[in-house]
Amino acid sequence: MRRSNSAALLVGLLALLVLVWTLAPVAWMVVSSFKPTPAIKTASPTWLFEPTLEHYRDLIGAGNDVRPFARNSLLAAGLSTALAVGLGALGGYGLAHWHHKSKKHLAFWIISTRMAPIAAVILPLFILFRQLGLIDSIAGLTLAYLSFNLPFAIWLMSAFFADVPPSLEEAARVDGCSRWQAFWYVVLPTTTPGLVTTGVLCLVFSWNDYAFASSFSGPGSQTLPMAAGRLITQGGVDWGQLTALGTIIVLPMIFAGLAVRRWLVTGLTMGAVTGE
Amino acid sequence: MDGSTPVSRRSLLHGMGALGALAYLPGCKGGSKESVGAATESVGDGWARYKGTTINFISENTPPSAAIAANLKPFEELTGIKVNISQMELTKLVEKVSLDFSSGQAGFHVIYADPYQVLAPFSEGLVDLTKFLDKKDFPALENGLSDFISTQLDAGGRFLDRQKLYALPYDTPTMIWHYRADLFEKHKDKMAHDLGFDPTPSIQLTWEQYYAIARWFDKNAKSEIPYGTGHQAKQHDALMCDFSNVLWAYGGDYFQAGPELGLVGTKKPGKSTLSGNEAIAAAEFYNKLLKLAHPGSRTWDWDGVASAFQAGQLAMCPNWHEFAASNEKALPGKVGYAPLPRGPKRSANIWGGTGVGINANASDKEQAAAWLFINWATSPATQFMTLASEKGGGTPTRRSVYARPDVEAAKKRPSQLPNILAAEAVNEAWKPENIGLRPKVATWNQLDTILFTQVSRMLAGEIKPDEAMRSSAEKFDVVNKV
Amino acid sequence: MKRAGPSFEMRMMLPALLVLASLSLIPFVTLIVMSFSHVKLMGGIRFENAALENWHRLIEDADVRSSWVTSLVYFALTLGVEMASGIVFALVLHRVGRGRNLLLALAIVPMFMAPIVVGLLGRFLTDSTLGLYAWALRILGFEGDLLAGKTSALLTVIGMDVWEWTPLVALVTFAGLSAVPAPLVEAAAVDGAGYFQTLRYIVFPQIRRVLLVALLVRAMDAIRFFDIITITTNGGPADATKIIPVRLYETAFRFRELGYASVIGILMLAFSILMANAFVRVLGEKGLTR
Repeated sequence: MRRSNSAALLVGLLALLVLVWTLAPVAWMVVSSFKPTPAIKTASPTWLFEPTLEHYRDLIGAGNDVRPFARNSLLAAGLSTALAVGLGALGGYGLAHWHHKSKKHLAFWIISTRMAPIAAVILPLFILFRQLGLIDSIAGLTLAYLSFNLPFAIWLMSAFFADVPPSLEEAARVDGCSRWQAFWYVVLPTTTPGLVTTGVLCLVFSWNDYAFASSFSGPGSQTLPMAAGRLITQGGVDWGQLTALGTIIVLPMIFAGLAVRRWLVTGLTMGAVTGE
Repeated sequence: MDGSTPVSRRSLLHGMGALGALAYLPGCKGGSKESVGAATESVGDGWARYKGTTINFISENTPPSAAIAANLKPFEELTGIKVNISQMELTKLVEKVSLDFSSGQAGFHVIYADPYQVLAPFSEGLVDLTKFLDKKDFPALENGLSDFISTQLDAGGRFLDRQKLYALPYDTPTMIWHYRADLFEKHKDKMAHDLGFDPTPSIQLTWEQYYAIARWFDKNAKSEIPYGTGHQAKQHDALMCDFSNVLWAYGGDYFQAGPELGLVGTKKPGKSTLSGNEAIAAAEFYNKLLKLAHPGSRTWDWDGVASAFQAGQLAMCPNWHEFAASNEKALPGKVGYAPLPRGPKRSANIWGGTGVGINANASDKEQAAAWLFINWATSPATQFMTLASEKGGGTPTRRSVYARPDVEAAKKRPSQLPNILAAEAVNEAWKPENIGLRPKVATWNQLDTILFTQVSRMLAGEIKPDEAMRSSAEKFDVVNKV
Repeated sequence: MKRAGPSFEMRMMLPALLVLASLSLIPFVTLIVMSFSHVKLMGGIRFENAALENWHRLIEDADVRSSWVTSLVYFALTLGVEMASGIVFALVLHRVGRGRNLLLALAIVPMFMAPIVVGLLGRFLTDSTLGLYAWALRILGFEGDLLAGKTSALLTVIGMDVWEWTPLVALVTFAGLSAVPAPLVEAAAVDGAGYFQTLRYIVFPQIRRVLLVALLVRAMDAIRFFDIITITTNGGPADATKIIPVRLYETAFRFRELGYASVIGILMLAFSILMANAFVRVLGEKGLTR
């Protein structure tokens, strides 16, 4: 019995190590956001301090208000997510059921657009957006986000649709449904987890974007990650506000992500691996 | 030298002379007495014509912009114009401005036009302000253009053509020697004894002596202060600034034409002179100095070095004088200032002033509203307001502000205007023989990047100082096609 | 009876495909055209024919070459460390009895964080004046600054990426481990196989495909993102972290040489298309794309 006991102890220790490595930075960020500035600026860490909300208050203070940034983030990420899920559901269904010899090529093209390096995509999109007047607009950002969210949504939804038993749709057809009706009333509702997972992941990807926003956004469309840049000032880096802002950017996405944990593996591998 | 931009040595000296003379003309203009609020009311008509217009101002996150952002109300009440201010790190600003000028629209109407990274490469994107200067229906520039320090008007506002003006001088940070006066005071005698010279920072000391002082702190005062010196040596624009001080002190320069390129600039700077012996000697010294500096130096830009200094990590550092205000907050009464040390040639203190200009893509109405804003933002009253602001304090570009009795009085502690504590050192640094002006050329963003990359490689031990200078010069010549 | 017009499936796909085409094919063609042009932006976009000039320049550009080397080192180390530590994470978590689900949920928190925040947080933790990790390292006897040295800076930005994305590898691997049939493992134990023998001969062959998927998913994102480097070192010190996307961005938007930047971009695209190809082939085994 001794051997398995020490093995369990080892596993416990390693698990603890994993947790500390993973969570310490996040925890430190959240804790620091409640520290008064002098307690942040110490060479050895301050463990005891009187918590303060001043950094959060400063983030909505005069001349430094992050609320417009948050609104732009919500709009751009939300719109592109809605479009990606809508179009992706239709496209995903089509892809899952389309049997044609060029299917492989089509699938390949879709996935390769998702993998295109952001830096390479920014260049031509900038030229196009400039011609179309989409620079510094929520519409432009929405489209830019769609360029990576849509292929992702098509693939992921097609994986979910592929798992729906064909008998379900056949039964609906026997009952007299048109194909569209069978899709809309029977097949689609069974993929609700897929829709939610796709939506959440698209939201996370676009909410977290920095490269597109920093190239295409202007004074009227800057997103939350852009706000972080303003806090590195000549009066020194304002780590209090930065950690507060980091917390605000990060927490909603962590909760959203954990909410779809059951389908996360499927989602993140675009259906290549099925989770629990 | 490029013949198309005749900047004679005399006109340069003339401009510089006026600048240097500042220090010796106390109160000659009799600064306006009115308070900030009153100032904006006192100016005449013409302010309210563009009511309801919204303009966007893009600025580096510098103290005057922070102060203005926190105190826009007087302007908005005076004019009915709404101003949004976007502040960001300089590298990001240059990218954003470049993108905005390219977009064909004007996302930003008022541009913080760094003379080297924005004005020189993108001067076509900026409005020639002379078209507003004489217009009767706009409020006049208080005290006229001549109230601006003339060197700064040229260096910060013009490019290639003396008849055109692209920006009004907005701030004027200059690099000087920041040091912990408390520690120097405490150890003065022992240091003088050990080192064999009076260590009190002044323009009389040399960079070698600066090095010796830093090493003395490292050896003898480690428990009080972790490092003798720290530098802004991140692979970033800041590294070019920090290195330039040494480069010029040792008699090196970027181009043959030297400081004359700093005023009106040129499109054809000719061959680079960075491979010269003086430049190599400077690089060798800088390399040696950085081996002694705080190891964080290679990750810091100006903000980083200021944070470290204010956190009590450094006994001294070269940095922009604008940090005086935040230094005073962090270490009240403990910080002293002096012009930077001299090399074999001179003391060189890089000037980092910037003007504000107007995006040429903006509509007529937006341009007019933007003009009202930059008129207001660079007015003596606003400059005094930013100087006195809680948010850190700007640095006036107008003679009349320096001439105010209350500004004069603030040179002594306790000071209501902590940035003025550095004024004596800055005035010395601004003298023509001491100021450091970068070449103003259209390709500067490439040249800047080449230089700070090569110097960064030198600091990392990847190449020798002479290689760093030679390869910089070669790459400069490729970019400038000479 | 043969129906006229596109099939129902095709009609379902059409809206998405049209949007995707306009967001990918038009930019792609633009990129190609740009690579043969001098792109002028001020006062209206103009493409001036540059023939092969941009491409010639690439051949002679030692800086871009060294950025590719840096990128490949960055790429290999990031993926290697993430795979190795992700597998270890998963094996450990898989052995935990009670509280396993909670543990897994906590362990995957980093991957939802914006890379820009991860970079800023990394700076905050390693800041030599006030950083928590810098302080811990000082206690261990390391006095320097992590982002100051060439090697340490590269390893540090890799570390930030590893911190954020190891959980993804762990999560996917964990799913693979859970799918290994228990009788198989038990049989090995009865035969007297040790833990590592069972891993090597029974478990790994079972989860090989899952690991490959995890690797590919990470690979495609590792070439896509450059936010962490942008906000921490922006390529320095001494170009040690100047991976290709950072250089591309600088060439395009700091130096405004969009034509030349396009050439660099096209090479990056080619690289990512190779990845996509591998991904599709792996997925093809599952039948999804057939």
